[in-house]
Amino acid sequence: MGNVNVKQVDRVKQGLWEKSYIPEILRGLSVTAGHFFRNLSPNKSKRTIFTRDYPEEPTDYPDRYRGLHRLMLREDGQVRCVACMCCSTICPADCIHIEAGEHDDPGIEKYPDVFVIDELRCIVCGLCVEACPCDAIRMDSGVHIPPYTERSDAFYGRDLLMELGGLSQAKQGGDRSPS
Amino acid sequence: MPKVTINDTELEVEKGTTILKAAAQAGYEVPHFCYHPALSIPANCRMCLVEVEGAPNLEPACYSEVTDGMVVRTKSERVVKAQKAVLEFILLNHPVDCPICDQAGECKLQDYYMAYDAQESRLRTEKNQKVKVFPIGPEVLYDGERCILCTRCIRFCEEITGTNELTLIQRGDSAEIRTFPGKELDNPYSVCTADICPVGALTSRDFRFKCRVWLLTSTDSVCTGCSNGCNIHLEHFRNEIQRYRPRYNPEVNDYWMCDEGRLTYKEVHDDRLRRPMSNGAALNWHGVTETTRDKLNRALKDGGASHFGFVISPQASCEDLYLAKRFAGDVLEVDNLYLGGKPDGWEDDFLVKADKNPNRQGVNAVFDGLDQFGDIESLIEDMESGAIKNLYMMEKHLPVDDETRGRFLDAIDELDLFVLQGQHHAELSQKAHLALPACSHAETEGTFVNFDGIAQPFEQAFAPHGDSLPHWQIFMKLARAMGSPLSYTFVHQIQDEMFQASQDDGEAAQTPAE
Amino acid sequence: MVEVLISLLKITVIVFVFVMGVASAMTLLGDRKQSAKIQNRVGPNQAKFFGFSLFGFPHFIADGIKMVLKENIVPANANKFLHTIAPALVFMPALIGWSVMPFMDHFCTGTVQTLPDQNYTEICTGPGAEWKNYFSIMHMNSGVLFAFAIAAISVYGAAIAGWASNSKFSLLGGLRSSAQMISYEVSMGLSLAGVLMIYGTLNINEMIRMQGNLLGDWLPMWGIVIQPVAFFLFLLAGLAETKRAPFDLPEGESEIVAGYITEYSSMKFAMMQLAEYAATVFIAALVAVVFLGGWQFPYVYADGIRIFGGHWVPFGEEVWYWISIFLRIGAMVFKILFLVWLQFMMRWTLPRFRYDQVMTLGWKILLPLSIANLFVTALVLVIIW
Repeated sequence: MGNVNVKQVDRVKQGLWEKSYIPEILRGLSVTAGHFFRNLSPNKSKRTIFTRDYPEEPTDYPDRYRGLHRLMLREDGQVRCVACMCCSTICPADCIHIEAGEHDDPGIEKYPDVFVIDELRCIVCGLCVEACPCDAIRMDSGVHIPPYTERSDAFYGRDLLMELGGLSQAKQGGDRSPS
Repeated sequence: MPKVTINDTELEVEKGTTILKAAAQAGYEVPHFCYHPALSIPANCRMCLVEVEGAPNLEPACYSEVTDGMVVRTKSERVVKAQKAVLEFILLNHPVDCPICDQAGECKLQDYYMAYDAQESRLRTEKNQKVKVFPIGPEVLYDGERCILCTRCIRFCEEITGTNELTLIQRGDSAEIRTFPGKELDNPYSVCTADICPVGALTSRDFRFKCRVWLLTSTDSVCTGCSNGCNIHLEHFRNEIQRYRPRYNPEVNDYWMCDEGRLTYKEVHDDRLRRPMSNGAALNWHGVTETTRDKLNRALKDGGASHFGFVISPQASCEDLYLAKRFAGDVLEVDNLYLGGKPDGWEDDFLVKADKNPNRQGVNAVFDGLDQFGDIESLIEDMESGAIKNLYMMEKHLPVDDETRGRFLDAIDELDLFVLQGQHHAELSQKAHLALPACSHAETEGTFVNFDGIAQPFEQAFAPHGDSLPHWQIFMKLARAMGSPLSYTFVHQIQDEMFQASQDDGEAAQTPAE
Repeated sequence: MVEVLISLLKITVIVFVFVMGVASAMTLLGDRKQSAKIQNRVGPNQAKFFGFSLFGFPHFIADGIKMVLKENIVPANANKFLHTIAPALVFMPALIGWSVMPFMDHFCTGTVQTLPDQNYTEICTGPGAEWKNYFSIMHMNSGVLFAFAIAAISVYGAAIAGWASNSKFSLLGGLRSSAQMISYEVSMGLSLAGVLMIYGTLNINEMIRMQGNLLGDWLPMWGIVIQPVAFFLFLLAGLAETKRAPFDLPEGESEIVAGYITEYSSMKFAMMQLAEYAATVFIAALVAVVFLGGWQFPYVYADGIRIFGGHWVPFGEEVWYWISIFLRIGAMVFKILFLVWLQFMMRWTLPRFRYDQVMTLGWKILLPLSIANLFVTALVLVIIW
């Protein structure tokens, strides 16, 4: 073996106690039986089972969990998005499709006429949220992307995304008033 | 020849050179908004201020000419401070609505802010509100808040088009660009103002909200709107042309192009013939090649070449035309050639030409003159009388008015065989016994010869739509099927052969301008 | 006629309801739920009846349906007849042995009396006392021998299954199974011999009656008290007989796929599995009968309660007799269930032995110990009695 770093470990000698098996087996049994009875205890807090019955018992997602997208709203309920395409540009999965439209209000000017996210394509990286200059798209809906049987069900349109949305506290169009 | 030192770089420049140009020669960028090489120099944006040794104040680089022994610093502390101050001043009332601004991505204000300013606004009062989405002309929209008042657009209308529509109204922070009363920015080159606008104040109505500029891929191409052959950046996204933008070529179009030409990209995508068709039913190339071969052979056998007409299109590139000539002359052995193409339109004395076909001079060069082409009127008469029984037609265009075109369409029904090879359905593809899809100049490469005889190459931007093929490949396919070996793999092989042929003829074919 | 009907009833209740019920439930509760609790898991709970998971019981139904619907595969070149009959050969002994297992002393129609000086033998007196019936399918003088004989032939099933499958894994499993079972049967029989010497009978019911005696007037004289070493030896050997962990060498998954049941599928596989569980229950019953007093409920007898210091509290009413019957049947069932539970605990506590260790344990430790136990017992019997 030459210079290979070998450490010789002496085998621990078994005494008569260990050799007779019975007490050691009983010790092992006490451990397993302890678990068994503890986990049968009617007091659930004493049990040591930490498994969650997932679909019945919803998971507590962390605050920054990235779930389904949602489109935030202006105070009058219109979509906040201005169709700047930053999200669709940054999207590595190319799952956001936006078609811009001309808004009647020249102060808003641009809004998404079509806004479709293919949630099946989405890789949930959150870059769209990072890229958004208007706090218009978020992934904090707390709803994970559900399973689909039809591919087309995964195309979330603008109105569907707005239903998940809410009001943002960020002020749009910059702060024009003196601070 | 004055010698000048710019940031430790010593160089000798021609007399009368401005500091900005000298710095560019030395490899230094001097930021500027109002200066444009094709326009006069107002020096009003103050962005290009540089420090000249010995001068008490900073000098505008775009305006000041160099003198011998001048020492210029473009990156000194004073200059940097001045640049910051100027940018802060320009941005004072700027709405910073980059997300909804079409210019974002090619905006000089954006670029310079990131490069020279990059500080927060110190404005503590409300920003000035000015006019938004103002239709200053039929093709151009104006946004007063974004405008930095560089007056490039005003100078363009004064100096290039001479139409004088625009001026500056009001003073100070309420100043805006407006048309003179009763006028509109409606000259035929109006969208050029949007091109030269360094910010998003003037934007094209056609390109508005269509696509973000950073998504565009640019290909060097040539406008097919008329025989002037303006050089363009063909900008496309996902196999679709989003806009044309003029490409600098001092021999053809300088920095400009006309509004009409800009919109010709729509023809590339409208009404496209995507699959080969036989009697209105879509086929694949394999089947249609054999059918076409059989039908052409039968037509030639039954009627002979004298009853066979061939319409050449000046819309096609020189390479396509060369193969058309080979195909019509060597394979079909047809003498009855006709010249198609769009009818003449309006012209002016600047860029727009009456001949709306990009390659009439190319036809002239490839076919050694235009005399051999028959008259379209006589073609229609021959078709009506039955003298022409078979017709092979490139592209949908005919240089005739609508009434004559109607006669032509009726006469098609009399034909034994009508083969259409073109980009568009028009009214023809349903009538055609065989319709072969050809691709546009955006989907292949080639050469156009403009009215002046300048041969200009254009490049392929994206893959052909549908099953369409370049004209030359279709001709090659058919020629091969008919047992005549025409084998080229690349466009440049055709170019080489054409060049050889024209040299043999002793004709001076000009090499591409750019 | 009534006797026949009662026999059929007993067969149905004991074999199909009790044994099969416990064995089947073990497949779920023992192997899956119990192990889950030991390992801090939840265990199966997703199969449901109308939205109720019922502690996972619907999984048992689902498993059954799955097993029935699975394709029944007989390997190529296998001996089809033996391959088909082997599961039955494994399964049947595990059930036949139950014919001699008593769940209670005989039932009397008349008044019941126990005779303390004759090991509390119950005799029926009074009017209508001529009819009595035992709480076992078959009342046999050589009950223990019968049970052992039957248990011993189950090795044929495993060996035949291993051979008939035409698979080397199955063959290895079959060989291991026969070697292991034969080895441990020796020490099992020898450890039992000591007990039999003390009891002096092969009649299981008699043995249980004797365990009703009180040692020093307070300690029930169960087998475990008078033969503690034999109890441990018997329990260990019994564990090995059932071919379950830690003695599941015949099916050692990590070595020989699944041993002699490798090539079985569908209900044949299910029968092999069920046979193992049934054997587990049978071993539990044997241990209970021989060492844990069988149906004896401490201090409770058919006609009264005997408590410390020889106090005798006779039952007055008929109803007390019935209560004592149920108490004693319950005691038997409880003891069996407890031993089954214990075996499963062992299975989930101990890792598998190496094969040479199994043989060493069987031949070099258990066998000498049981012979020594036998010898000492014989010596003590000669000296004291």
